This record gives sequence, C-alpha cells and structure tokens, in this order.
Amino acid sequence: MSSDPEFDGVSPLTEAKKSRVLMVGAGGIGCELLKNLVLTGFGETHIVDLDTIDLSNLNRQFLFRQEHIKKSKALVATEAAQKFNPNVKIVPYHANIKDPQFNIEWFSSFRIVFNALDNLEARRHVNKMCLAANVPLIESGTTGFNGQVQVIKKGVTACYDCTAKETPKSFPVCTIRSTPSQPIHCIVWGKSYLLNEIFGTSEDESAFDHTTDADNAKEIEELKRESEALRSIRQSVGTPEFSEALFQKVFNTDIVRLRSMEDMWKSRKPPEPLDYKVLMEKASNLDKEAVVEDQQKVWTLEENLIVFNDSLDRLSKRVMESKAAGQDAVITFDKDDEDTLDFVAASANIRSTLFGIDRKSKFDIKQMAGNIIPAIATTNAIVAGLCVLEAFKVLKGQYSQAKEIFLTPFATQRLLGSDKAREPNPACPVCSSFQIRSLVDFSKATLNDFVEDFVKEELGYGEKEFAISTEVGIIYDPDETDNLEKKLSELGIKSDSFLTITDEDDELVNVVVALSESKEPLEDKPVKGIFSSEKKIEIPAKPKQPATETNGAASDSPPLVVSLTKPTDGVTPAKRSHPDSEEGIAKKVKTIAAGADEEGDIVIVDDAPLDAGGSSSEGAIVIDD
Amino acid sequence: MEAPTSEPAGNANGTGNTQNLTVPVMQKNTNGSVPAPTSTISNGISADEIALYDRQIRLWGLKAQESIRNANILLITMKALANEIAKNLVLAGINSLTLCDHSPVLPSDVTSQFFLPSDRSPVGTNRAIAASTNIQRLNPRVSINIDTLDIRLKPPSYFSAFDIIIATDLDAPTLNLINTATRLNNRIFYAAGSHGMYGFLFSDLIEHDFIISRSISNVPTVVGPESPTRSIISSSPDPNDPKVENVTKRELFSTWLLASSSPLPAEILKSPRRKKVVTPILSCLRGLWEFESQFGIRPNPNDKAQLAQFTILCGEQHKALGLPAETLRSETLRAFLQNIGGEVSPVAAVLGGQLAQDVINVLGRTQQPIQNFVVFDGERSEAGVYALHPTEGELGRGLLPISGGQQQQQQQQQQQQMGSEEVIDLD
Repeated sequence: MSSDPEFDGVSPLTEAKKSRVLMVGAGGIGCELLKNLVLTGFGETHIVDLDTIDLSNLNRQFLFRQEHIKKSKALVATEAAQKFNPNVKIVPYHANIKDPQFNIEWFSSFRIVFNALDNLEARRHVNKMCLAANVPLIESGTTGFNGQVQVIKKGVTACYDCTAKETPKSFPVCTIRSTPSQPIHCIVWGKSYLLNEIFGTSEDESAFDHTTDADNAKEIEELKRESEALRSIRQSVGTPEFSEALFQKVFNTDIVRLRSMEDMWKSRKPPEPLDYKVLMEKASNLDKEAVVEDQQKVWTLEENLIVFNDSLDRLSKRVMESKAAGQDAVITFDKDDEDTLDFVAASANIRSTLFGIDRKSKFDIKQMAGNIIPAIATTNAIVAGLCVLEAFKVLKGQYSQAKEIFLTPFATQRLLGSDKAREPNPACPVCSSFQIRSLVDFSKATLNDFVEDFVKEELGYGEKEFAISTEVGIIYDPDETDNLEKKLSELGIKSDSFLTITDEDDELVNVVVALSESKEPLEDKPVKGIFSSEKKIEIPAKPKQPATETNGAASDSPPLVVSLTKPTDGVTPAKRSHPDSEEGIAKKVKTIAAGADEEGDIVIVDDAPLDAGGSSSEGAIVIDD
Repeated sequence: MEAPTSEPAGNANGTGNTQNLTVPVMQKNTNGSVPAPTSTISNGISADEIALYDRQIRLWGLKAQESIRNANILLITMKALANEIAKNLVLAGINSLTLCDHSPVLPSDVTSQFFLPSDRSPVGTNRAIAASTNIQRLNPRVSINIDTLDIRLKPPSYFSAFDIIIATDLDAPTLNLINTATRLNNRIFYAAGSHGMYGFLFSDLIEHDFIISRSISNVPTVVGPESPTRSIISSSPDPNDPKVENVTKRELFSTWLLASSSPLPAEILKSPRRKKVVTPILSCLRGLWEFESQFGIRPNPNDKAQLAQFTILCGEQHKALGLPAETLRSETLRAFLQNIGGEVSPVAAVLGGQLAQDVINVLGRTQQPIQNFVVFDGERSEAGVYALHPTEGELGRGLLPISGGQQQQQQQQQQQQMGSEEVIDLD
C-alpha cells in the first residue's frame, strides 16, 4: 500500500507529482536519489552528468552494471530508473552543467534543484546559478561513513559558499624535492615531479607551494639545475641504458648532492643513496609478473626496482610508438592508468626507502596519488533519502523546518544529527550580494547603456560612485571610463555573463547582474532589468556589524564541516548538543498544554468525526480530559 | 516436494560466476528445510573483486570484506524496506541472500518496489520470486535464494543455516516468534518496519565482540563495564603502530520480547530534559505492537472503536515509558495512524541504509554496533537510538534460559492462534 501522508493541508506527494526538478550528477548519490524521486512520483526529473561508468562505480551505483561500463551515466541511469515508474518523465543530458545551454533561465524552470556532485567547483557553480535563478537547492555530499544534506534558499538559508571550504592541499617545494618526511611527500614527488619531467610537459605546479621559496633561494637554484639534467636523460627514452641512467640520477647522484648540504641534516636523518647495479643483483631472481600483480603487498626495495624498470619499459614503449606515429608523446598521471600508477608507486617507495620513510602498497598509493575518497552504497542511500525528505519541506514551503542534517556514524544516542538551517552569512562573497537579472540586446548595447540606463536609472544609483567588474576584473569605475563606448560584446560579455556593481562609498551591498540575451531587439533602451514586481528596486545597505562578529555569534551552533575532500573514515564526529533545545521544547509544550490534563490520559472525544485522508485539523484524536 | 540442492553461486575460488545470471530458485519447498548456504571460501580475495569493491575496501579493509563475502543472510518480507536492504547487502558482496516471502505482489507494491520486473505485470506472482531476478543482476557474485513458504511455519532449525536473519514489515508476535528461533540457534536477528514517514530498527546480536583501534590515551584503558550493556574485554598495543591500541569490547543484547517492553535507559529517565526529547513515535510503535498482539490486526483508522483502543494503548505505553504526557500530541497520533503500513521511498532508503550498514559493521567487527533500538521520524529527520533492556537479570547469552522458556510458551500460543483464525494481516 502506498501512502500519501498529508500534513498541514499540503501533501508533499501530491506536490511532487506536479514538480519538475533537476538532479545534477548521476553517480553515488545520484543513482539513489533518482530512484527515490521516481518512486515518490516526482513528475519530471532532468539529469545532467558528464561522466561515464567505471568498474569501481558498480559497488554502489546500483543502476549500472558490468555491461554499462564506458557508457553515459545520465543516459543509463535514466533508462534503468524509468522502469521503476513509467508514469514519470526523465530527461537526461550527457553534458557538463557549466555548458551555456544550462543558463539561468533554464535553471529557473525547475521547482527544486538537487546537487549530487563530487567536486567543489561544480557545487559552487550550481549554487551560484540557483541563487541567480532563485530556485531552492538541496545540496548533499558523502565521504565514507559520513554524509550531509543542506537546503539552500536565496535570502532564507545559508548558501554553499557562506562557509569557507577546504582547498586541496599543496606542499612546499623543498619538502617534496629535498626533505620529505612522509609517504605522501614521496608520492607527490613521483607523480608531480618525476613522472612529469620524464613523460609529461613540465612540473605539475599546482602541487607545489612556492611561498617559502625565498628562504631557500640557493636550494631552489640547485633544484632547477637538477631538473635540467633530468631533461637531458629524457632524451634517452627507449634506449637500453635509460632505466639505469634515470635511477642513478635520481636515487644516487641527486641524493649524494643532497647529503652534502650538511645544514639540512642537523636535525634530520640524511638520505642514503642507492646503487643500481648492487640492487639489481639482489633483484635478479624475482618473478616480475607476480610482484606487479600484488597490489596489497608492501613491496620490498628490490621488488620496487623490478616494478620501476617494468613500468619504465611500458611507458617508454608508449612514447616510442607515439613518436613513430608522429603523435604527441606526453603521458600524464592517471590513477586508472596502470603504467603511470606502477611508475609512481615504485619511484615513491624507492625514494621513501632512502629517506627512511615507510613504504606503502600500490593499493594505498593509488588512493593517495589519485585523491580517492572511499564511498559506499549505504551512506549514499541514506543521504539521498534525506534529500527527498528535505525536498518535501521545500514543497510545503516550510523553510523554517529545513535543517542541515548529517550522519553520525557509530554514535550511541542517534544516527543522525541536525542543526537548524543557518541564516545567510552577511559577509558571504556569493549570496550576500543583491542578485538581479537584466535583458540585453547584445547587437547594440554598450557599457555606457548599461551604466546610464540600467545602473543609474533603473537601479537608482544616480550620482553615486560605483565600479563594474566581470569575473576577470574591473571594466568601469569613475576613473576608468575608456570602455564606456565599447559594446558589451566587445568586452567579452555575452548572454549569461555576470557583472558585479560595487558601491565606491561602501554603503550598498554588491549587486550581481545576470545578463540574458533579449529575444527581441530592444529599440529604445538596449539594457532592461527583469524585475519580479512593479515595486521600485531598492538595493539593501551593507550590514553594520563587521563580519567577524557575525561569525562569533554563529559559533553557538557551529556549522558542520564534514570534509568532502579528505577521507575521515572511522572518525566519530564530536558530540553535539541535541537539536531540540529546551527552548524549542518549551514552545511546543505551550501549544498543547491547554489540552493536556495532569495525568496525561488520552481519550477520544465522542462525536468527533475521523477523516483519515482528510486535511481537517479538527480531526478525531484530541487530548482532553 | 523437491529437496533443494542448489549450491551458493559464490564459488570456491572467489572469482564468482560473473556470467551466471540465473537465479537458483528453491523449488516449492514446503517442509521448511533449506540447504545450508554455507560454503568454504578460500580467504584470498581476487584482483577482480578488489577492483570491483575498491571504494568500500578502502573504507573497511580487506578483512572486513572477507567476512562480508562469507555471510549468509535471510531477508523476510520483500517490500520497499527489504528492497533497500537487499540492494545494499548484495552490492556490498555478501555470500548469499535468501529472500523469504509467501505473499503475492499487490498492485500497490508496483510503484513502491524497484526490483519488480517492468516488462510484464508482476501482480499476483510471488513477491520474493518477482524481485529476485533484478536483485541478482545487481551483483552476479552473490547467490540469491528464494523461499516462498510462510516464515511462521518454519521450525526453529531453519534459521541455523543463516548467519544473520532480517525480518521486515511483520507484526510483533511474528517478530517474537522468529527471534525466539534465532536465539535457540545462536543467530543474529534484526527487525525493521516502515510506516510511511516513520520506522524502526531493532537488533539482537546476543553477545557481540568487536575491536576498536584507537590512539593510546594518557588515561589507561581499564578492562570492565563501560555502560549497562558494553564492557571492555581486553586491550593490547597494535603490533604495527606503538601509538595505537586495539580494544576488544563486548555488547550484550536482549530479545525482541523483552526489549519491546523494557523501560528507557536510566540515564534518560533521570533527566527531565532528555525525557522530553524522546520521540513519541516510540510510544506509537509500542501501541501498535500491543494492538497487534491483542487483536491480531492493525488498527483501522476508519473504525472508531479500534481508533479509541489504539489511542488508549499508545497513551498507556507513553505513560509506561515514563514520558511526559505533553510530548504525545494528538497530531502525532493522527499522523502516525495515517502512516501505518504506508511505504515512502526515501524513508525506506534511510532505514534500509542504516540497517544494512549495521549488518556490515557487525560482520566487520571493528565498529560500535547499534544498541539496540532506532526510531526514525522522517518528518523531523531524526533517528534516536535507545538501549532498551530489562533492568533485572542477565543480558546477552545469560538471558537465554529464562526467556527461552517464556518465548517458547508464547510461540506455542501464537501458533495455536494462527491455526484457529486467520487474523494476521501482514499487508
């Protein structure tokens, strides 16, 4: 029996049937979410996902099977879920959510948007689009046993960017190149330095933090020289001497030089250089196939040498083949490319050995080098279920009931924790600004039209001083007027670009204008605002209190930070206060106290009619004496 | 009558029948006996399996994955909640899952259960059979078995063939019956039910030992009780990391019969503040079980007399739990009543996810399991855990001789009742 629970006169299930929703991402959370949306009867669900199906998805993305590997997630998920309920419409897009076709107008055609994403960048983009389109967003994420759900509604709750997010970790150059102390340092060296110098284009700069370079100017110079020497070895790729030459260079010559820097080893154990020929003799009787196959084992030094040589042979062969075919011979790291993974694992382990650092199994190195986040079916299923339960509140317009919910794995008193939805952060760089849309006739609109007709007149800035910027930088301020006569299109501004207006007097909040191409030519004024009401637009003043104070006030109920970039398996979140504060309870008690007697007996008032499916609030069960 | 002989499909070398999509159906098995779905699986997990289960092995490790792969699980009543549990356990890679359901698919099942076939109408076919093909497709390495006989007619020995028994969407007397049998066979028992926006989980692991790896603290780990149900059995330094210790803990459990009538933990009862936040859905669930036990049916919201009786029972249960009268509101009772027997997909997903995760944790033996009762309120997205145990007498295995007798008596009564009148409506 399917039930249609009805509360407060609005049935979320009935509302769902009328709803057109968007789901961004059809992976771990997406598969579960789509199943729930379809079974709950959401009338129309659009799905956007760029990704294709991989073997390691199958342990949790239950809409996909072996025969679907390499196919589009959005398309396969649609086909599979449609079978659950033929009465709903599902529209898939095998595309990037940042594509121009998914513009603000398109976002604004949905009742609710669900984020089922795995990366910060796309989450931020959808957050911004939903704020611009004023569509409620249900944001979710999981890592291992942890997960969370958050309702984002412009002007009502905090947005995704109201709290700072963790950025990917980078390491100082000298730690990676000269003084590693942890396995990850050697893995980054193998992946971002060695592999790139030999097979890639150049050093993977994003992995390095150059902020302290000035302190180590001399060592940085030496490192540059070393890299140049390495590039000359690169020329011998494919020759029989290649492996030995590379090994001697990075595990002997460079290490001998490093050891000579006595200052560096005063408080550290100096690295021990290795000799290729000596090691090779010890490794000569090993079974190459058996060693390479065992991903779980922590390889010995000799075994690592075998894998180092073997992976170099495989990579060199690929380079030679590409060159012979006149193609680009560049190979970059991919965790699913066994040749690059073997090379990084072996080089990292050999380097770890000579620095006295623990070696790791290939399985573990894959996780660290590939930034793999553990993921399981159950967490995704729970989080996707909670997303739809929060969607019910959105459909009922009950934002006051919306919560930030998080899983509390292995806690003894509750399996879910929750915080009341936070209010928007007045200092948030994304949602604290005033969002507005305008129609533009790009065939003729100039920046001057935008400044005069739209900002000064329609928005009422008048004689106030202000600046206008794109994502790239400032294009107009009182001293920068050269662009005024240029067309917006000449300034690289097109449909679905955003312009930010900053008040030079710092009185008004920033205004973010989303520009849309006008369908018809705009004769009199080529830039026009799209306003939802006839009321005059009033740009809010900046909040008086400094941002730090606001943050301090919010710390009574600190926002959950479940890291979505780093695995936190086995870590039980710190104990939290129960969501039901005394105050909340007191309020509830008050509302029913009048009807409850001292003994708390509950009886039926005799003649009250019961209408189980009805919405009447004067139903049969009342507390009375 | 044919004695089923099918072997579990997870084969001995562990590489699995990746091409075998057939379902080893247990032929109309009326004597209640089931082949022991036990098989000797070599310990090594193949490279293929590691690639498939990569993301979960990274979370719980190879050893836990081996325990999962050796587990034989019985899942009773194939409705929305069991669909979720089956999905999660089969994806995780257990050895075998036996689906037990004697009921036919109803029209209302079709829109709430995602494993039912779409190419032809499954209405009228057996619910376990109807779901089995699509469950098997999730993971060809897992052996899927089917049993279409009424679980209430099984002899206690039936349950010995399984490591874990999960009973979903059944009435209280049936849960008691099954739990009595799982106790007699020293098997792990889970119960779960969903009622629209509400639901519960219950576990009887009897006695469960698990090992927590944690950083060695300045305060030494002391062997002895940690809570009324949990104690530290031993601790030893980790052989691979001198900063880490491995602490063996033991949780003791109670049976369904005792837990479903036990008081709330003393730590809640002595705090007025904590009593106020105990969900009134617990009282509603107990009222429902009491109703089912007394009348053999579920309350019909359109029958005024039944409604009155149900309301009184809920009120009594609320009072017996020692909870303040004002926390059981008429709106809550009315909402609960309207939800009884309903199936709401996201609620089934949350409950089924939590239950399957606890099963996996219990198999892995490195995490704190649920102790022992969870009430889920989908309106408020709350899932409180309550340790419900009798205040007197031993828990765990020690509880067996006393309650075993009581329960057998109860079981006999129950069987007599079922023989005489057809009053139990599982749907």
